[in-house]
Amino acid sequence: MSSMFTSKIDQKVRIASAEKLGEKFAELVKAVLNNEEPKMVIPKRTLSNTIYDVERKLLLLGPETFERRLLDVREARKFMQTVLMAKIIYEALMNNEYPTIRDLFYRGKHTIRYRTHKGTVVEENTWDEQKESDAVLRDIEVFVGLLREDMLILSKEKGKVVGDMRIRSGDDVIDLSRMGHGAYAIEPTPDLIDFLDVNAEMVLVVEKDAVFQQLHRAGFWKKYKAILVTSAGQPDRATRRFVRRLNEELKLPVYILTDADPYGWYIYSVFKIGSITLSYESERLATPNALFLGVSMTDIFGDKNKKPYLSEAERRNFIIKAKKADLKRAQELLNYEWFKSEKWSREINIFLQKQSKLEIEALTGKGLYFLMDTYIPTKIQTGDFIS
Amino acid sequence: MVASSMEKFRSISPAEFFYRNKEIAGFSNPARALYQSVRELVENALDATDGHGILPDIEISIDRHPEKPFVYRITVKDNGIGIPAQYIPEAFGRVLFSSKYVLRQSRGLFGLGAKMVVLYGQITVGEPAEIVSATIGSKKVYMYRLAIDVKENKPIILHKAVWPNVSNWHGTIVSVTIEGDWGRSRQKILDYIKRTAIVTPYANITFRTCDGEVLVYPRVVNTVPPPPRESKPHPHGVDLEMLKAMIADTTADTLLKFLVTEFQGVGEVTAQRFVQQYGFDPDKNVKELDSEEVERLAKALREYTEFRKPRADHLSPIGAELIKVGLKQILKPEFVEAVTRKPVVYEGHALIVEVGIGYGGAIPVSDEPMLLRYANKIPLLYDEKSDVTWKVIEDIDWSYYEIEFPAPLAILVHVCGTKIPYKGVGKESIADVPVLEHEIREGIRHVARALKLYLVHKQREEEAMRKAYTVLKYIPEIASALSVFAPANPEKVGCAGSRKQAL
Repeated sequence: MSSMFTSKIDQKVRIASAEKLGEKFAELVKAVLNNEEPKMVIPKRTLSNTIYDVERKLLLLGPETFERRLLDVREARKFMQTVLMAKIIYEALMNNEYPTIRDLFYRGKHTIRYRTHKGTVVEENTWDEQKESDAVLRDIEVFVGLLREDMLILSKEKGKVVGDMRIRSGDDVIDLSRMGHGAYAIEPTPDLIDFLDVNAEMVLVVEKDAVFQQLHRAGFWKKYKAILVTSAGQPDRATRRFVRRLNEELKLPVYILTDADPYGWYIYSVFKIGSITLSYESERLATPNALFLGVSMTDIFGDKNKKPYLSEAERRNFIIKAKKADLKRAQELLNYEWFKSEKWSREINIFLQKQSKLEIEALTGKGLYFLMDTYIPTKIQTGDFIS
Repeated sequence: MVASSMEKFRSISPAEFFYRNKEIAGFSNPARALYQSVRELVENALDATDGHGILPDIEISIDRHPEKPFVYRITVKDNGIGIPAQYIPEAFGRVLFSSKYVLRQSRGLFGLGAKMVVLYGQITVGEPAEIVSATIGSKKVYMYRLAIDVKENKPIILHKAVWPNVSNWHGTIVSVTIEGDWGRSRQKILDYIKRTAIVTPYANITFRTCDGEVLVYPRVVNTVPPPPRESKPHPHGVDLEMLKAMIADTTADTLLKFLVTEFQGVGEVTAQRFVQQYGFDPDKNVKELDSEEVERLAKALREYTEFRKPRADHLSPIGAELIKVGLKQILKPEFVEAVTRKPVVYEGHALIVEVGIGYGGAIPVSDEPMLLRYANKIPLLYDEKSDVTWKVIEDIDWSYYEIEFPAPLAILVHVCGTKIPYKGVGKESIADVPVLEHEIREGIRHVARALKLYLVHKQREEEAMRKAYTVLKYIPEIASALSVFAPANPEKVGCAGSRKQAL
């Protein structure tokens, strides 16, 4: 039995999820057997149904739903894809498997051959691109109320963590302070991790993997009692959930360090309040207390009451001219409800005015120890961050 | 019934011939001559059969001359009324001998088609024509080999034979050898016979070509449309020459009697009023009118508006039903409709327009409609683009009728009447006379509306089917997926209910 070698935690989740998924889709079978039209009532995953909860500072899924009916010509294909995806997930759960979303795509992809009313034989794929299978997977998550992690669907590990703490993953205890030059890859099912003990006072999330590695080797997390995390670009769900748990369960403040450009800011906002496409998970993934440490526009250009961290000459060397796409993206951010605070407006407007951006690497370029011992500590101590 | 409609045979003068047939053409080159010869003989054969209520059995064959190139022997056999033995030499051997002087809708308007073929054969090849014929009930079958004495305009009988009619056969077999060009006329001849078959679904037509092909158009209905009947001319349709001929011919002694007996639409009272209005002496012997008076009479007859309208009951339209049957049988379309319009009057002659339409099926898709034109049941194959029907078809906004070209569309237009307003000398296209144009337009609109209804209905059905299939095609996949979630032993359910919903 393959289950002999899998962890007990996995098996528990597996059984619970299979049950929930099975119940939900058995309703469709019941409808068919009762000669009723099978239909699914699914919350809408659209921008219009994405609500920014000002109080909780979260992007949430709104109350709107739609009916996915078999006998609706516009929904029939999606209906087929949804039940097909449900079947694949259900079977994977029952077979003790850990499919990735790519696996799900390949398992479901095949050709349907049928004869039209005119007698010609036509072929159609259940789905052609992974975009399609990913979309129905998200539909199933909101329809059933189970996240993909709960259904033991894996994705590529992207996020990494080091720090003075011990966790239990599966049946093993892992010491995150003894990872050598490497780091612990945050597993796709962070909810199955147990936090055992921790000796840290804050969490620093760095957008760039390269900067993470430098800080790690320079011993930043030891010196400043930090849990050091990188999302290596846009954060995946596991990294976001892991950071959220660090903040919520261990009460550690979370500081986020990104490039000084609209993409960096959006990464911060994804950590803090959630993303539009995955708004249904914000409640579990977002870290509303996360703080934007930098790099901010005022760090580069200074302010009435603030001396810039870069000299005139350094600015000339490190600043990159903003591209058209950057400016366009900045304009979009100005329209998002959650970027309409005074501090963010100022940041974005400086950017639009200067039309300049900066990568974190510029600060390590000025000197790794400048970043580690001057920039980061100063900013934290003086409270020079945006919340 | 058949005996009552025996043909009237009489001679007409050469002057009359040229007057009445000044537009003659059709033998301009070997290809056209072969086509024209087949046409003349086939039309005579049909007139001899359906013109007398007989279901036609027509056999046509073309053979290459065993020695001479570009020489063909055309043989046409019918089961018609036959020709009385004593008339056979005259009927085929004297130009201008005609049975078609009286007004009647018939195919060969000249009444000299066969003679022209014989004459043309004699000029180009010089072999005698052979005619075999027996009238209905005749105890004997007669055979003649004939040539024409062109100078004297009379038949030369080269050979005559008589044998007993043991099988009680009636009909005529004509065999003529002419110079022609099969290669260049083949398509036109095949088209001609096919189009003839469309409007004569009550005929058996067999055609054997000189390539050994045999085309058979079998009879699909057993009813012959009522034969056209002779009618007296209407005063509005009579011109000076015709009036002179009628005066010479009449047995009436007074003008009044002449008007009443020789014309249609003229009763005693109308005739009285007419002579009074124009100051003619009703009691004058009509044969004593001088030429100035005859001219005045001809003009007055055409002018006077109180005559009854020309009658159409002597005409023989094909009939909407037969047109539909013919189109269906030959073109194999998915939709067919036809209409016979009410008679109208053109220059004192009644005209009837019939229109048929075929769509889809085996009709080839083309950038323009396939047009099948007929005049008095004769297919018109040449000069299509100058025909009034083409003008009408081009004027019509076909998209209104849900038709986007290229489309598989065929339109049949039949004009029948005692006088067809042909355009030009070839008698292959009809002139755009307003009344006729109107009739053709309304006829085409009528059948096109029916087609539109059909197409709209079909589209709706297709749309419904298409919709149903966008769902149905996924059912096996969905069933397979959902079966994973089904209870272990589901009850078997009938699927009628769900299917009804799906459709």
